[in-house]
Amino acid sequence: MWSTAREIAPGDTVIAWLTRDLIQPLVVTPGKDLNIRFGYYRHDDLVGVPYGSKVGSRNGKGFIHVLRPTPELWTMALPHRTQILYLADIAFITSQLDIKPGSRVVEAGWFMDVEIFHFCSPTTFRLFVPIPGSNFLFFAGTGSGSFSHSVARASKAKEEFTRHGLADIVTLTHRNVCKDGFTVESAADAVFLDLPMPWSAIPQAKKALRKDCLTRICCFSPCIEQVQRTVTALNDAGFTEITMYESLVRPHEVDQVPPMRSIDDACEILKKAEQKREDKRLRQIAATRQNLANKRKREGEADLAEDESHHDTGSGKRTKTDEIDDIPQEPISLDRNIAGSSEVADSTKPTAKTTVSKAFPEVRGHTSYLTFACLLPGSPEVAVDA
Amino acid sequence: MAEEAPTQNKIRSGDTVLLRIPNGDTRSIKVEKDLIVSIGRLGSFSSNELIDQHYGLTFEIVGKNLVVLPPQNIQELEETDATNEHIVGDGSVKPVTPEEMAAMKEAGVHVSDIIKKQIDQHTNFELKTEYSKDKYKKKKEAKYAKVFTTIPPTLFNVCEYWYNKDQGRIRDLRIDALSQMLSLANIRPGGRYLVVDDASGLVVSGVLHRMGGQGRVLTICDVETPPAYPVMSQMNFSPEVKSIMSSLNWATCQEDYTPIISTWDVEEGQIRSDKQRIRVNKRRAASDLLQSTREDLFAGEFEALIVASEYDPQSILKRLNKYLGGSCNIVIHSPYVQILSDLQVVMRASAEYLSPALSEVWLRRYQILPGRTHPMMNMSGAGGFILHATKVYDDPSAVPVEAHRRLAKLAAEAQKNSDVVSSQQDGGDVAMTDVA
Repeated sequence: MWSTAREIAPGDTVIAWLTRDLIQPLVVTPGKDLNIRFGYYRHDDLVGVPYGSKVGSRNGKGFIHVLRPTPELWTMALPHRTQILYLADIAFITSQLDIKPGSRVVEAGWFMDVEIFHFCSPTTFRLFVPIPGSNFLFFAGTGSGSFSHSVARASKAKEEFTRHGLADIVTLTHRNVCKDGFTVESAADAVFLDLPMPWSAIPQAKKALRKDCLTRICCFSPCIEQVQRTVTALNDAGFTEITMYESLVRPHEVDQVPPMRSIDDACEILKKAEQKREDKRLRQIAATRQNLANKRKREGEADLAEDESHHDTGSGKRTKTDEIDDIPQEPISLDRNIAGSSEVADSTKPTAKTTVSKAFPEVRGHTSYLTFACLLPGSPEVAVDA
Repeated sequence: MAEEAPTQNKIRSGDTVLLRIPNGDTRSIKVEKDLIVSIGRLGSFSSNELIDQHYGLTFEIVGKNLVVLPPQNIQELEETDATNEHIVGDGSVKPVTPEEMAAMKEAGVHVSDIIKKQIDQHTNFELKTEYSKDKYKKKKEAKYAKVFTTIPPTLFNVCEYWYNKDQGRIRDLRIDALSQMLSLANIRPGGRYLVVDDASGLVVSGVLHRMGGQGRVLTICDVETPPAYPVMSQMNFSPEVKSIMSSLNWATCQEDYTPIISTWDVEEGQIRSDKQRIRVNKRRAASDLLQSTREDLFAGEFEALIVASEYDPQSILKRLNKYLGGSCNIVIHSPYVQILSDLQVVMRASAEYLSPALSEVWLRRYQILPGRTHPMMNMSGAGGFILHATKVYDDPSAVPVEAHRRLAKLAAEAQKNSDVVSSQQDGGDVAMTDVA
């Protein structure tokens, strides 16, 4: 579906990687320009360049990497038009539904193309993608509940499939699957329901599944109440092996830090600080005495008793300032001490940094619950319209 | 829709089949025509009875035969007034004696009758809540029922089997981690992939499973002969699916490696017997295969490198890097975060790898019985860590935009300085320090 050639050719879909958070797909069209924060490029510059190359901008204001599209990159590049499926879920569902080359999968939902790309990755299987009509509560929150809107969306999706060369393996139908069912009967190896009320589509999904071998279903729902109703519906429809999972990815950030210091260092620093303070106190006392002596010399001894306290404070303050001037390395903050002591440590220990990692401070905590079930050949038949 | 379904539906002779027995354990058995299979307490049966049956069915062993049981639904339990509070351990329970039990088993009494008898003799049974009763029956069934379920050989099920059996042997590769690796590596039919698998062949199995016999897989291992990859036996791959895989080891994948050719490489005229000819041809074929596999590796341009190895990933990357094509996905799994964070630091420093990202996988299963939905009390905590990066071609002449801005700023300030310097010679020093 995407180019597998080593070099980029005109008409190829490529992923322009600007930064980790700024990824954009482009169709290489000679004559067109790309003018972004990271410089000015001509599409012609990309033609003939191997995939994966760093390309410098024409005006020297930065560079981009041009990558071969993958479903994962596509997900990252997508403006989030609707609730989309993420790597952990898609990968898990693909394995659980046993989607592989040749599988026939039915999907119903307000998908955009992301999961289709992932499922199509084990390509050459047939995929039916009926979209439900608009009479679902699901649209209430999106503010785009009109039927014509969903038709427009479906045709846009259709266009996209064609553009990505998926038209042969993806058939898209726009209909209300809960009411009208799927277009196929006893044909699918797996059904994937990404619907607000998956339980209402389960009898229809059962119809669409093959009856001559074990088949599978997955319902993707964010709420536990949806799961409970779905499980009941699956059980009533004769599905077995019902399981439910939650899968997440915890991204980690990696850092290199100096080796952690021993508490002995802290102890040493505290002791030094105490010693310095004591030295300073003694110096201040000495200085005050000196001052006092000088004063006495200057002013005579007559009115000393009266002014003692006042002079004491005044001269004390002055000496303090003197002290600071004299000893600029005076340990004031702990940071200062750290710097000093690590210099000491560095001279004795190797300066190797330690690599540490921790989970990102804010991560995705929930995507959806994944409910799976099997349909065995010879399951007790239930009335579909029950 | 007319074409034949590629899905493997039925058990064939020669398959390795996973069975789930009532106590929840999974056994792996070999199904071969006319072979008697024995599964411990459950008894034994002829494996002919399994051949041509659908995967996923549940059987009861009756005598030496198998009877297919209909699929079981989850039964909703009616709430009653029972609260368990009147149950007292006053010794009034007269359990079925071991002798009675042995006699019943001997007579071939059905499990449901055995449990019924136990319930009859259990004076407090009716005082139990429905939940307790259900639990009691399930426990007894697990103990006495002679049933088992065949498990379809999907990657999911095979991975789960190995994970529960010995997660060390598959290097903690839980199914969610494995699935993410395959998706991140963008494994698809027709691709060319390099695999380093010290996880008993689980990664190779996943890759082959998603490729369906189209493309090329090269695995690099640490043994002289092609590796055994025991996980592959449960996958029951067809020969076509496996045909796209070849293996090299860490010695034969070196470009300067020269096989030690001894006297066996004799000239055509020197062959004395047919036996020797066969031997020579065999060796020659092996040597040719090795050579062509090496050439395949050296041709490079692989689209993904996927690693779950006991060896230092930095050394693996160093060795295989030159065979990776542009935009190649590099996916490395380890049970230990330290190994991958060290690797990430190294990769981050290199302009050849774009955005190396480290993540941990997390998976939780739920009990979903009616009215009793909650996460499982025990969950697997160790699925490992995954590092993903993209191989790129560096262009040292390309200037990052920040550097461009910095340079522009410096140039502008230098211009300003020279003005300052020329206009007031005395203040020159101050202006220079400001810029620095």
